[in-house]
Amino acid sequence: MSFQSRDRKDFNAGVMYIAIGGFFAGFALNYPMGTAVRMGPAYFPTILGALLIFLGLILFFRSFAATDAELPTKTHWRPLICIIGAACLFAFLIGPAGMVVASAVMMLVGAFGGWDFRWKEQLIGMVVMPAVCTGIFYYGLGLPFKLFPWS
Amino acid sequence: MDFSAIFSNLILGFTVAMSAQNLLYCFIGCLLGTLIGVLPGIGPVATIAMLLPITFNLPPIPALIMLAGIYYGASYGGSTTAILVNLPGESSSVVTCIDGYQMGKQGRAGPALAIAAIGSFFAGTVGTVLIALFGPPLAELAFEFGAAEYFSMMVLGLIAAVVLASGSLVKAIGMIIVGLLGGIVGTDVNSGIARYSFGVSELSDGIGFVSVAMGMFGFGEIISNLGQTAETKHMEVSKVHSLMPTWEDIKMSIGPIIRGTALGTVFGILPGSHTVIASFSSYTLEKKLAKDPSRFGKGAIEGVAGPESANNAAAQTCFIPLLTLGIPTGAVMALMVGAMTIQGIAPGPQVMTQKPDLFWGMIASMWIGNLMLVILNLPLIGMWVQFLKIPYRVLFPSILLFIAIGAYSINNSPFEVYMAALFGFFGYYASKWGCEAAPLILGFVLGPLMEENLRRAMLISRGDPSVFFTRPISLGMLLVAFALLLMVVLPQFQKKREILEVADD
Repeated sequence: MSFQSRDRKDFNAGVMYIAIGGFFAGFALNYPMGTAVRMGPAYFPTILGALLIFLGLILFFRSFAATDAELPTKTHWRPLICIIGAACLFAFLIGPAGMVVASAVMMLVGAFGGWDFRWKEQLIGMVVMPAVCTGIFYYGLGLPFKLFPWS
Repeated sequence: MDFSAIFSNLILGFTVAMSAQNLLYCFIGCLLGTLIGVLPGIGPVATIAMLLPITFNLPPIPALIMLAGIYYGASYGGSTTAILVNLPGESSSVVTCIDGYQMGKQGRAGPALAIAAIGSFFAGTVGTVLIALFGPPLAELAFEFGAAEYFSMMVLGLIAAVVLASGSLVKAIGMIIVGLLGGIVGTDVNSGIARYSFGVSELSDGIGFVSVAMGMFGFGEIISNLGQTAETKHMEVSKVHSLMPTWEDIKMSIGPIIRGTALGTVFGILPGSHTVIASFSSYTLEKKLAKDPSRFGKGAIEGVAGPESANNAAAQTCFIPLLTLGIPTGAVMALMVGAMTIQGIAPGPQVMTQKPDLFWGMIASMWIGNLMLVILNLPLIGMWVQFLKIPYRVLFPSILLFIAIGAYSINNSPFEVYMAALFGFFGYYASKWGCEAAPLILGFVLGPLMEENLRRAMLISRGDPSVFFTRPISLGMLLVAFALLLMVVLPQFQKKREILEVADD
């Protein structure tokens, strides 16, 4: 039983729950608590936050009792950064640059997150998919997209 | 029971569902659901979340009919991949992989698919009849419910959903609470205070659970899939020679289909609907009943017929608590609640009385959807096989794009896409640490409802919390929830959960 041999999954999950619970319960201090009869906006989140902190503490302390716990899988930085980055780029670009450009950029950046990147396939995808999506969502479903930077 | 009333209701339902427009949407839903469902690495939750925005512009009835179709299609697509490539599209088709894939390797993928379709159709028919029979009385019971009963029922539903699931109970309850907390972000209805919005105007409307589901089940799953490179890289797709099962196959499947359907309906109605448990119990039962259990795992058709029927029966009957009580029992049903809310319908017993055309139309369309799946999938199987051959590296950027466009079109705002990205990041790490996304989604949808009912119950009881224990129905539900929690501690039950956990991985 030592800090080194702790069950890292439980430990991390516990810390995460304590942080989230603490955040919600702590921030609830800014809102009126009310009474049990007339609950204010702070009442429910305070109870839940406290419960979550309690569960987090269980996980936190339990993690040290573990003997040979499984390690969580390593972070796969490349897919993580590429996928989240692609989504943020899409969100950022769709306003100023329109859907067609945002889609093509998203597909390219996202594709770099894969293990087997092939330029030819991805370039075809970058042309075909925005066209398909324009057809389905803009013309087919009539969603009000801005298509191009100049439109 | 008033059969003539049920009969006239069903006729009303079929008139609604058989209109050309609704038939078309049911068809499109089934087709799209199967299409996305057969793609490896996307489960039904991500499929529905992704396709949900398509239905926003439709009127309520076709929108819900289409969503139900998407749901069946997605579940059905999951079984197809299980049989053809040994890759369960969702956890409930894990069991189908065992014998279904073996049948495929023996060149009998066709009969396996056909039996799965027939079994699912039979189960779906029974499920539909059961909804029609038990929906009205249950809804009547629900009208008697006060705020205290609703609150206790939600507690029971949430506890049941995690007790029967796999993995750490403490972590799952934690995820529910995270979801409940996330669900109440936004303007408080009673005081008008924007909670946890930090001056961001989009947040004062609350966090949309559709973008949360898209982020966690879509982005998060894709990141995890890309992380595990080797195994999904190359897939062997079984060839489909002939679809016709032999007479022997059919005779051997009748028993398992009936028993599977029975098991599935029971598990589906229970709060915390678990199609996984239904299909697992059916498999275990068939193996126990078989004259020669050693055939199981080597391509026994009973191992496909039973679990597939059970799985579909449960998928059908878990609509009962949603439609009559307004309580979602799983992540998929939570999305349906969201879809109904977006359409301006508050799920609950009043749907049946105030919007009978919607309620009965949806039920009738469930049966039609099941029929369509049989007609649609068996001839189109060749097309699905072609889809399965697309490598993941080509597929996933397009899936990303669909998710992003879907998230954007919720409000025509990039904010939802950022939210999806944020929750994708969160979901990726949470699942690494053994915290699953499904309980979070359930909590997200139930958060505001739970707070509202807690407030009302306490207001009526003048702040006395004993109201939850003195009203008999409420007390009963809390006792069942407590008993379920106790069950987890029992060693025998723990073993079962471990088995499920292994299967889930």
